[in-house]
Amino acid sequence: MPARPAQARKGRNSSPRDAFDLWLKRGLHDMFDDVAREPIPPELLALIDKDRQS
Amino acid sequence: MTLNQTMTRDVTTIDETEWDFHEALVNVLPSLRQQAYALTRNRADADDLVQAAVGNALAAKTSFQVGTNFKAWMLRIVRNRFLSDMRRRRETVAIEDAPQELFARSGGQEDNLVMQELRRNLARLPADQRLALMMITVQGMSYEEVSEQLGVAVGTLKCRVFRARKQLQAWLMGDEAPTRAKATRVAMTASARGRDARNIKGAEAGVSLQH
Repeated sequence: MPARPAQARKGRNSSPRDAFDLWLKRGLHDMFDDVAREPIPPELLALIDKDRQS
Repeated sequence: MTLNQTMTRDVTTIDETEWDFHEALVNVLPSLRQQAYALTRNRADADDLVQAAVGNALAAKTSFQVGTNFKAWMLRIVRNRFLSDMRRRRETVAIEDAPQELFARSGGQEDNLVMQELRRNLARLPADQRLALMMITVQGMSYEEVSEQLGVAVGTLKCRVFRARKQLQAWLMGDEAPTRAKATRVAMTASARGRDARNIKGAEAGVSLQH
């Protein structure tokens, strides 16, 4: 899990804002990447396939 | 090849005789599901939204012009469906009724407190800010690509993303008041102080200035 923003490791030229943006990016990826990786619901594929066959 | 490149491959190197609507639709589904999740804040609602949008797209497939941006066309359908669902919901459901489990983690896994706060505050942002932030930050699109997909000027998008980041930072750092509201509060406080000072003077002079 991403750590709290204040605890994010800071690079040589990074600012608190950069640390927050990095933490936010990791957090958002943590929330949204799973959605793209999940299998497509079978009923959705069936809907598309049914239309393809018609 | 990145997910985004795969999704746009059928648009940028289009051969009209080979392009297949149904194949393109299946290929774009992962991206659409992320976008629907950003809009609805809830997995079940996102799945319902995508299913409804796919139904709309299939019904309107003859209106799609091969060679144009299929992803943008699909995203427009998703957003329009989202907006019409929201309007219909407002007419039948009290506005205070928020969907349960906003951005809840799937599978019953527990988040640390900070991630719970991020999920809770992301859900508080306006939908368009959330969507823009997700497309830029998670889907890795450029502002120009997102601009084309959403039909919104690059400057407007940059503003949305900037505001979203700034607001999240303010909330997560413990400052509940957004910048503009804070300035208003400061101005109102200063005005009230002035009024109180005048009232005290008036009271000393035997006159009430309260209004």
